[in-house]
Amino acid sequence: MADEIEVDTRGGPTTGPFYEDAEGFNMPEAPGTGSRRIPRGDFPTGPDVGQRLPDIVAIDQTGRLVDVHEDRDGQPAVVVFYRSAVW
Amino acid sequence: MDTFRAAGVRLYALSYDEPDALADYATAQDVTFTMLSDPDSKVIESFGILNALIPPEDHPWYGIPFPGTFVIDGEGAITHKFFEHNFAVRPGPEQLLAAALDQEFELPADRSATEGAEVGHVEVDVAFAGDFLPMGLTRQIVATFSVPAGQHLYGPPTPDGLVATAIELDDIDGVLSYDVVAPPTAPLTLSGSGETLQAYNGDVVLRLPVTQNARAMHKDDEGRYVTISGRVRWQACDDVKCFLPESSAFSFRVEAGFPVLGDMGAGEGRVPPMNGAAHFQKMIDRRR
Repeated sequence: MADEIEVDTRGGPTTGPFYEDAEGFNMPEAPGTGSRRIPRGDFPTGPDVGQRLPDIVAIDQTGRLVDVHEDRDGQPAVVVFYRSAVW
Repeated sequence: MDTFRAAGVRLYALSYDEPDALADYATAQDVTFTMLSDPDSKVIESFGILNALIPPEDHPWYGIPFPGTFVIDGEGAITHKFFEHNFAVRPGPEQLLAAALDQEFELPADRSATEGAEVGHVEVDVAFAGDFLPMGLTRQIVATFSVPAGQHLYGPPTPDGLVATAIELDDIDGVLSYDVVAPPTAPLTLSGSGETLQAYNGDVVLRLPVTQNARAMHKDDEGRYVTISGRVRWQACDDVKCFLPESSAFSFRVEAGFPVLGDMGAGEGRVPPMNGAAHFQKMIDRRR
């Protein structure tokens, strides 16, 4: 799978120690390196619209074990997958 | 976050960070939504969205997802998905809330009194939804078309000579737009020409997500404003004939948000400290 996904290396150096990606966002690394390896073509985006959201059971910021479907208690929800809170 | 709570919509954010890193972040940022820790990327893998472009030996990036957002209804079914190629771009809270409440195509409550039905032709109102334009987070240009009874507007594809309903942004350095959010169309055959078109049913709301990449912030005399301009296009038909295509220009001058940077260094726009450097070192070490 990995070798079927193209890495987006468009963009290049800009002022100072920074680089710029294809959409003009500034960044400390060259496009396509380190944490900046982002897809250009198709890439997996998980379960489709219409499917039940797969179970998520994980520890939260207070140390509590959370089962998302149980915890939301029948309410609609927004579930964000992001890269990191640290960097 | 109060708006989400008042609307009865829960918010969860999952990353491969350790729980103690999330705790420090939540304290520094006064986070009131649920942050979930997936240090082994097990949940991320179970969703099939592990960033496969990063090899396992590449510390500390390995384990991150292709970032994206799922919106689910009360039954737990996925109703919307937001995945962009570029992780620098994410849907804004207004967009997510409208999706979660199934209100994307709802007509604004404070619509002007001049409805299309009264004047016999399509009336258009264009608004910028949001009070500023942050970097990477989308806001929306919302176009509301009031369509008289018996007339229709159309979505793509349209045959030659007929204009699809659209929001077009001028080419502005630093301003980016994404796929328009449009209601579903239904096939409609005109009795006059016999042509089958993709018609919107009644009044139409289109939402164009826009964001900026920070270059725009230097383009204005006052440094932090950006002008977003463009036009909406449409063409109405009734059952027997089509009216001339029309367009209407819009221009909004909005404040551009300053980029928010991590806490691992000095500089304007840095977030409050969360002991980021130590947590980052731990990430480098944890898979050795």
